[in-house]
Amino acid sequence: MHLHALVPVLAFLQAESDPIRAEIGRLQRNFQGLIWGFVAAWVILLLYTLMLMLRERKIRREMERLKSMLQEGGKQ
Amino acid sequence: MFVMLALAAILLVRHLYMISVLPDELQQGQIFRIIFFHVPAAIAAMCGSAVALVASVLFLITRKFKYDALAVAVTEVGLAFLAVNLVTGSIWARVIWGVWWAWDARLTSALVCWILYAGYLILRQALEEPTQRATFAAVYSIFAFTDVPIVIFSIRWWRTLHPQPVFFTKSGSFPADWTFTLVLNLLAMSLLYAVLTMIRLRQEHTMREIDFLRREAHAV
Repeated sequence: MHLHALVPVLAFLQAESDPIRAEIGRLQRNFQGLIWGFVAAWVILLLYTLMLMLRERKIRREMERLKSMLQEGGKQ
Repeated sequence: MFVMLALAAILLVRHLYMISVLPDELQQGQIFRIIFFHVPAAIAAMCGSAVALVASVLFLITRKFKYDALAVAVTEVGLAFLAVNLVTGSIWARVIWGVWWAWDARLTSALVCWILYAGYLILRQALEEPTQRATFAAVYSIFAFTDVPIVIFSIRWWRTLHPQPVFFTKSGSFPADWTFTLVLNLLAMSLLYAVLTMIRLRQEHTMREIDFLRREAHAV
């Protein structure tokens, strides 16, 4: 059997596998998109929470500073 | 803080459950599950903007600073939730439409809404005097709210790339168990929103005390 006889068979197999490969690629992109979506949402909320915590610390420090300043002023 | 962490854990567990157990949507496949974060974040943010509107109106009527504090707290948290909505929507669009962004009515009005409320926070930073700041911010918040109905009804008023609602409507085809999952996630997100707002509200009260102490320190 000559090799050129296999050409149509190979062409058929390639034509069959391309949609399958495309579908696998689509499913992978789909799943990656889902994971990225969830990660992005959580990162935004975590960053905001972190921002709140940092502000809380700053506010407390400022409050303590002012209170001690006023106490010292009262003593004098 | 512990409540917030517990809520976050519940949400994360529910996400894992959603990813592993719920079936794929027929046309969109797995990416459709992003709806469980995308929509509750939007609903929570829109409810927050409504609360900001009411608080701003109440401040203008009563001149009580507690309403101004509530308005700023819900607006800031709402901005984070709207950012979640926009970013998840953009990722969803990239997978389904093939583009990160489309200038259709729903997407554009939602982006404008985010920019408007970001402007609200910038305006507050720019004004020093508390009464003036609260008054200007309240008026601005009322103006900013005019975009919220446009965001909500844009998909009905104009032909958009963004799909029509698929749940809580007669024409929608959202399965009952998916609706249940969505409602649970909406509840979890709303609770998270409320907890973050309470923390922000407490900070606002402390900042007001600091303002008062500063003035006292200056007088001394």
